[in-house]
Amino acid sequence: MRVTIFFLSALLGLPIFANSLPSEQRKNNKLVQAALSPVQLSLQSGSAVFYNDSDRKPFLYGTVVSPDGYILTKASELELVEEFHVRIDEERYRELKVVAIDTVWDLALVKAEATELTPVVWAPSSDLAHGTWVVSNGATERRYRRPRPGIISANKRAISGGTQMVLGVGLKDTDEGIVITSITEGSGAEKAKLQKGDLIIKVDDQDSKKREDFVELIKEKTAEDSIELVVKRDEETLTLDVELTSRYKLYGGSKSRNDQMSGGDNHISRRRTGFPMVIQHETQLTRRSVGGPLLTFDGECVGLNIAAVNRVEVYAVPVENLLEVLSEMMEEAEANGKN
Amino acid sequence: MIFRPHWILLLALSILSPLLARPYFNNLEAPESLEDLKKIQEALQVSLPKTRAATVCLEIGEGSGSGVIISEDGLVLTAAHVSGGVDKEITMVLEDGRKLKGRSLGLNSETDAAMLQITDPGPFPFVEVDMDDSFKLGDWVFALGHSGGFDKERGVNVRIGRMVRQADSTVQSDCMLIGGDSGGPLFDIEGKLIAIHSRVGASKEESMHVPIREFQRSWEEMSKGEFLGEGGFAKKPEPGSGFLGVMVEENEKGEIEVKELFSKSVAEKAGIKVGAILLEIDGKALANKDSFYEALSTKGVEEFVLIRWSFQEEVFEKKIELVERP
Repeated sequence: MRVTIFFLSALLGLPIFANSLPSEQRKNNKLVQAALSPVQLSLQSGSAVFYNDSDRKPFLYGTVVSPDGYILTKASELELVEEFHVRIDEERYRELKVVAIDTVWDLALVKAEATELTPVVWAPSSDLAHGTWVVSNGATERRYRRPRPGIISANKRAISGGTQMVLGVGLKDTDEGIVITSITEGSGAEKAKLQKGDLIIKVDDQDSKKREDFVELIKEKTAEDSIELVVKRDEETLTLDVELTSRYKLYGGSKSRNDQMSGGDNHISRRRTGFPMVIQHETQLTRRSVGGPLLTFDGECVGLNIAAVNRVEVYAVPVENLLEVLSEMMEEAEANGKN
Repeated sequence: MIFRPHWILLLALSILSPLLARPYFNNLEAPESLEDLKKIQEALQVSLPKTRAATVCLEIGEGSGSGVIISEDGLVLTAAHVSGGVDKEITMVLEDGRKLKGRSLGLNSETDAAMLQITDPGPFPFVEVDMDDSFKLGDWVFALGHSGGFDKERGVNVRIGRMVRQADSTVQSDCMLIGGDSGGPLFDIEGKLIAIHSRVGASKEESMHVPIREFQRSWEEMSKGEFLGEGGFAKKPEPGSGFLGVMVEENEKGEIEVKELFSKSVAEKAGIKVGAILLEIDGKALANKDSFYEALSTKGVEEFVLIRWSFQEEVFEKKIELVERP
């Protein structure tokens, strides 16, 4: 009997019966990363790491799209850092230029003085079934891009919200029409010297009597733009050009309980709404680990990680849309280069 | 001592046999190649259509959570902190947007287990439950849920991970969860329900689930609509805390007549008027005014009373949800 007990306890001591899985065996850790090594090769050559010159910390990834140094990344994160450099594979590049911006997709095209890079290989389609493995940039080392796994987790779809342009004013409906009740600091409204108490009469030559209609008019604007406002102040009638600003730039995103659970501003992307089409996966990424390629197990690029939405959702621009907008941005860059 | 090899063999067999029936990748320390990972993906993708179809979004007042249908006639498992109480009306939404009416059965406030019943007619899509408690540490699992509430365009949110820690009443996976997932299902890779999402830990990768064995322990009581335990996952309504908003007197005929009505009270909203005669409460005829107040004194906030009354020759009956005393 004693013998049996001895063996039982010995067997119970085997890892499979332990009540906690050793950390290197967990989904995001060492052993699974090792299994991903064939895909890691594509990540190593096809992704770029953006470092902030002031603290030398990585703050964003990029996707290498040409052998001569064109890199796509997330515009609204890039614009926060004034001086940066990039590392691709083991090489460092300091001569960088932002050559085109697309505000709809929140993409920036950056040119590095490079030759003979190995750009990503585009996947034929982004239509991957739920549950399909995908690989993104995990934490990075100076010379090594760590792969991080995830799966396609929801339907491919458009994310509403537009770029959500705002004036930066508080409004209320009155019998005479819409009255401005507050002005947000740093907004186009402040710059145009709008004032509390101004009565809005016309927007872009259209009568505007109700707050609802006014908001609808603004909503249709998608890019950074300005509107012409006719307002009545005391007995004066003024015509003012007012610049619109993205809501996320002026107010930051709204913070729900789920945003707090996701780590708040440090972890979720500043801009995470208003994409004409996205594929969604559940890889654990933060606002600092988007911008890089989303790879299949064949090492092909199926999208570009564009937003860390919360702790369970990441959006990627699908490859079809990415190629379309990339060719537009290349044209724009070329045109700018000639001027 | 002679029997020792025999013992070892038996023991080895008894331990290995359940392992042999499992997908091979669950017996690996970790996947060793893309091939191993693809096998996990294949198994998951076979399981997804059926499990997604049976995962529901629960709409309860202002809040929302998730749940999973486990029988053709609409028995649903969820978390106690989602259902929040017994005999409450709950709307459930399937992934395709179809809305179903239901009510909460029992719950266990100590383990966070709860049951619901869809009251609309079935049949409904449902999943198989792992009644044998057969999952092991390290098994590949997947979590479903309506993260952040119902979103028809997005659909059910899928997450993959491994079973990383086991305790008696709670299991932990490295599937990521967020608000709205609570009460949703955790499946083994073959689509058998093994646990219900309960809460998240301090670290991003700590997700806690209530294992099915905890449901089995109080299955009978929960199906009967009992409120079990005194834990923190749900608060039992305090008897007498529920407020209806009427003051009654016995009139000269011995009837129980409404003398006063609190403005904006649930009684007023239900259509009870000053001068109405109360006839029955929860199906029992009222003998006098004390029997009315006695019946009310057992009821707590968010509990229901069925009231039958007459007003100007007409008889009315309504189920009224009690609220907090103003």
